[in-house]
Amino acid sequence: MQDKTILEVKHLSKKFGETDVLKDIDGTVKSGEVICVIGPSGAGKSTFLRCLNLLEKPTSGEVNFEGTDLTNVDDKQLVKLRERMGMVFQSFNLFPNMTVIENLKLAPIRVKGMADAEAEKTGMHLLGLVGLQEKAHVYPSSLSGGQQQRVAIARALAMNPEVMLFDEPTSALDPEMVGEVLEVMQKLANEGMTMVVVTHEMGFAKEVADEVWFMADGYILEKGKPEDVFDHPQNERAKDFIGKIIQSV
Amino acid sequence: MKKRVKAIIQVIMVIGIFLTLGIWQTTQADAADNSLQRIKQRGELIMVTSPDYPPYEFQVNKNGKSRIVGMDIDVAKKVAKDLHVKLVIKSMNFDSLLVAIQTGKADMAIGGINPTTTRRQSVDFSKIYYSGGQSFLINSSDVNKYKSVKNLRGATIGAQTGTLQYGLAKKKIPNSTVKGMDKSTDLVLALKTHKIDALGIEKPSAEAYVKNDPSLKMIPSGYHLDKNEVGAAIAFKKGSDSLVNAVNKSIDQIKQQHLTDQYLASAGKYMKVNTVNTSMWHYWSYFAKGVEYTILISIVATFFGVLIGVILALMRFSKQKWIRGLAISYTEFIRGTPLMVQVMFVYFGIGVVVNIPALISGMIAVSLNSGAYVAEIIRGGINSVAAGQTEAAESLGLSKRDMMRFVILPQAFKNIWPALGNEFISLIKESSIVSIIGVTDLIYQLNIVRADTYRGVMPIFVAMLLYFIMTFALTRLLNHYEGKMKHAG
Repeated sequence: MQDKTILEVKHLSKKFGETDVLKDIDGTVKSGEVICVIGPSGAGKSTFLRCLNLLEKPTSGEVNFEGTDLTNVDDKQLVKLRERMGMVFQSFNLFPNMTVIENLKLAPIRVKGMADAEAEKTGMHLLGLVGLQEKAHVYPSSLSGGQQQRVAIARALAMNPEVMLFDEPTSALDPEMVGEVLEVMQKLANEGMTMVVVTHEMGFAKEVADEVWFMADGYILEKGKPEDVFDHPQNERAKDFIGKIIQSV
Repeated sequence: MKKRVKAIIQVIMVIGIFLTLGIWQTTQADAADNSLQRIKQRGELIMVTSPDYPPYEFQVNKNGKSRIVGMDIDVAKKVAKDLHVKLVIKSMNFDSLLVAIQTGKADMAIGGINPTTTRRQSVDFSKIYYSGGQSFLINSSDVNKYKSVKNLRGATIGAQTGTLQYGLAKKKIPNSTVKGMDKSTDLVLALKTHKIDALGIEKPSAEAYVKNDPSLKMIPSGYHLDKNEVGAAIAFKKGSDSLVNAVNKSIDQIKQQHLTDQYLASAGKYMKVNTVNTSMWHYWSYFAKGVEYTILISIVATFFGVLIGVILALMRFSKQKWIRGLAISYTEFIRGTPLMVQVMFVYFGIGVVVNIPALISGMIAVSLNSGAYVAEIIRGGINSVAAGQTEAAESLGLSKRDMMRFVILPQAFKNIWPALGNEFISLIKESSIVSIIGVTDLIYQLNIVRADTYRGVMPIFVAMLLYFIMTFALTRLLNHYEGKMKHAG
């Protein structure tokens, strides 16, 4: 199982107008792996992540998801493939017009055609997993940022995805709420979920990641086990970045 | 740049379509003369008039019932009787009378119309049935100042827009400033409040005012005029010879038997009925009818405006370029032209192709207009929903349709609602423009009451109050629902 490739990126490039944001990126994510993407602001980390489920359309290159090149399918197929990839955003993006449980039930019912009762059951189970069962019937606006992000994780999990993409999930949170979200993510990782996490939480990356990818200026400059990347970075930029991070901690 | 050029081309295309319609209309006028035959077949003679011109034509309020009466109406009745058909009376602004004839909205226009050479170029006229003569109304307090027409040199003179009096004052009173207004009631009020020094008006009309209002006096015009500039005749669409000939026979009888004297006398009696009780309560049924029509038009226009607006907004999000272009052109064109012109276009312009009654025309025009604004409100509301919502919905694998239905539209609606509320409120106010084509909305009724009671200001105040009550009630209602929506998260 451990060796099955879920995502494979080949020669991925992305331009915004004349600006090269991603330059010829390669990478492989295997089943059950947790990849943490780190690097300075403006490195192209978020753009890279958003290219993985085609929220951003790559300018060139391939994004293979379980053997299908996402850059080469029509809109209908893309929608079908996307439901198998969960995504968690920096700004949560819960639907404010629905209660927490309705947020969780919408996609399973509308996309998978799940019965309401079953969706409710799954939803409540997932809320239990993120520790928010008692908030099932409130609106997102009455939740704290940390709680909202946990709901957002549960909502993505409700589609039973094969891979979870996290786009700086703790960056918009007050410091005291970062812990509760990371805890949920760690739990997920321990259960064997395949995850790609763009993050500034070096502690989390060090502890949870199977592999750390260091990005700067649109390139992946260093890839490796966390202890290698953090303790013996080879690339000058990575050395510099990690040096600064460790100083500030 | 390219986009702009394209937009301009689209607008030109739309204008082109309207022009084609217009040309088609003029060619229609050349059709063979079956004017008399058509009326006999229909059994109805449709006339238009502007009932704010006593004693020629005005409305009376007797036992709570409103009727149009006056010398002209008696003339028209006689004509209809001689033709053995039923008389149907439509009313609209004096300005619009000849247009209504040209566009076939009515068979004849009657309203103290002087058959001048200019007018003869666009319509046919019967023989003159009455010669009144021109005069001026002045304030009693100015009697010494304006002893005769010669003293009016350099004065400000009022006249109804589109009337002979307007042109005459301009031409014949040296150095004068001529102010035009639609309604003679407004002109009288302007005179009494000294916004104008004198009011050019037909003699019988002036006499009627003087009789009912001691603060007004009349002086003769002293114009040397030919008979076409003092007489009143009935107007018909060009090429209606058979009808004109038939009507002329009736007019010959009217003249032989001096029937107009009789008609004027009975008109005078009606005027006394009107001025017996000029309290606003006495006219409550007029205002009630006005409110009823204003509300009716607003409700219908709101409904169809939202419908059209939703369709247009959806078109704006279409993948097809031409569908988007069509919606943009429509919106830009409607927003770039006055509602008043649109109302007249639907009634007179489209009316050439299909004859639409005034009320329906008004509703159509206001709905079409509102649709363009509602579309922009909806588009703005949808665009105001954060981009993250779309991304979250996409990442969950929701279809475009589900995304709109469950995520975007419910949120957009909350933003749309207050702006939509403002649109409804302005509809109530702006729908007042339909009065120009004779729809009996509140503004129209207000003018009737003013003409009937010779009271200039009070009816305006009442109408103002009624408009405010309507819009205020609507505001409260909308706020109530807005509050409810906020509560729902």
